[in-house]
Amino acid sequence: MRVLVIDPDTARAALVAQGLEGVQPLEVRRSAVYDEAEVMAFAPDVVVIAAESPDRDTLDSLQESSQGHPVVMFVDRSEPGLAEQAVRAGVAAYVVDGLAPNRVRSILDVAMSRFALTQQLRGDLAKAKADLESRKTVERAKGLLMKERGLDEDGAYRLLRKLAMDRGKPIGAVAADLLAFAGVLKGDGA
Amino acid sequence: MSGLSDLRLGFIPLTDCAPLAAAQALGFFEEEGLNVELIREASWATIRDKVAVGLLDGAHMLAPMALAATMSAGAGGQGAILAPLALNQNGSAVTVSIALAEAIRAVDPDALARTPVTAAPLAKVIAERRARGQGPLTFAVVFPYSMHNYLLRYWLAQGGIDPDRDVRLVVTPPPRMVEQMHAGAIDGFCVGAPWNVVAETGGVGRILIAASQFWPGGPDKVLGVTTELATQRPDELRACLRAVMRAAAWADEAENRETLIELLARPDRIGAAPAAIGRALESEIVFHRDAAGLPRREHGLWFLSQMTRWGQIGAEHDLQALVDRVYRPDLYREAALSLGPILEPALAFADAAGPAEARLFDGRAFDPKAARAYAAAFDIHRG
Repeated sequence: MRVLVIDPDTARAALVAQGLEGVQPLEVRRSAVYDEAEVMAFAPDVVVIAAESPDRDTLDSLQESSQGHPVVMFVDRSEPGLAEQAVRAGVAAYVVDGLAPNRVRSILDVAMSRFALTQQLRGDLAKAKADLESRKTVERAKGLLMKERGLDEDGAYRLLRKLAMDRGKPIGAVAADLLAFAGVLKGDGA
Repeated sequence: MSGLSDLRLGFIPLTDCAPLAAAQALGFFEEEGLNVELIREASWATIRDKVAVGLLDGAHMLAPMALAATMSAGAGGQGAILAPLALNQNGSAVTVSIALAEAIRAVDPDALARTPVTAAPLAKVIAERRARGQGPLTFAVVFPYSMHNYLLRYWLAQGGIDPDRDVRLVVTPPPRMVEQMHAGAIDGFCVGAPWNVVAETGGVGRILIAASQFWPGGPDKVLGVTTELATQRPDELRACLRAVMRAAAWADEAENRETLIELLARPDRIGAAPAAIGRALESEIVFHRDAAGLPRREHGLWFLSQMTRWGQIGAEHDLQALVDRVYRPDLYREAALSLGPILEPALAFADAAGPAEARLFDGRAFDPKAARAYAAAFDIHRG
């Protein structure tokens, strides 16, 4: 069985392709964009495409076309919730008519899990960056309080923490506010 | 937490997303107690799917897509989409490559100077190409169920060109139209603003006919919403419609144009040159004036007549029942009434006063009560 993965996110496409190769006797190809000549030559049984790819509309239109190749959308209502799961995961799949639903199911499952994994990794990375940023901000706010209020490091941190608790805000946000106000008082950006 | 109701609305980077983008930027949604997340999507298919499963509460949508989605909705009505508001009139156009425009001029030097430009000279170009053994010209639209597909097909067929036999029709995403034409992959396209003007100002293409010439006052996008929003959260839908109506009225005002263009040009909205966005706003697109926001059932019936004409739907569907289900001028009216004097009642309720028959550029009249007979009467049709 031949599977084509179309995803502008090449790292994710590689992850999906890698996951699929372990599943069944599959021939997997991946591409960042839909290329008609390439699709005709490869003649995939299933096309897995990222929902964020603008090429989805081209693929979607092939089921309307009388002279096009037989790709139909996978909205098998015998698999309750699957289409919805796929939409939530950001994956769409188009299958050639007549392919056994359970085989498509396993392909879609792999694709969805790899999409979720990518999203989680990206989320972790973004969070790690944000945490680092927040820690830097807190350090700078502490430094400001130590200088302006003559506090030691521990005292500066306790004051920040108290401000955060009083306002019901994260300590990073309070630190950022403090720095912004200090900037205004000094005449920056005012 | 904020005390506001959350709504998720999708849009595609096109000029006619303006009422949604402006309602957000001007704080109209917030003033209605709504916390709206505007989500840019890359394809119409994803817009349809997300609205169908409720990941979006509503979206900037191709009007015929709402009809098609509802037609194929599940037995329990899952996936059905309602159109309680029309986002705009006009904005689309047919554009051909500079090379094709030159070929048209070569067979008929005055072809592009006439108003409206017809496809008859293009038919000659196609006949000559065929005689020389050249392959078919390729034309692109944005989606099978779109005003663009029906506009292009109607215009080609009126000039004697069978859109399924004499040319190759493909689907290309709007932001890729111009680069595809530049690369020589497509010879012509029908797409919404700003991409026609982008092609023309970039020296890539030449606009032949604009939607406002094709069908004065004709339809384009709608706000498509889930059935759940209309039935389970009617107050929120009404609030959303009020905010979008105010934004549409604001977007029509010439004095707000610069602000609107700046807003739309942003990379998280359309991401195109401000000058290219401006032209269609000056002379083409209407958001609110002349009751442009009213989702007119006769427009829906025209779409269904074209779906019938091109074999997208069979004889088993009750066209009037389908259009009554999807097009909801009653919801528009209800929201407009609750809004007060921003809407001139004569305009908001002009549906009864509209012309009984619509007239397209070729002078052929469309009687909404006889959509099937209209579809069958064309020389070129599939159904």
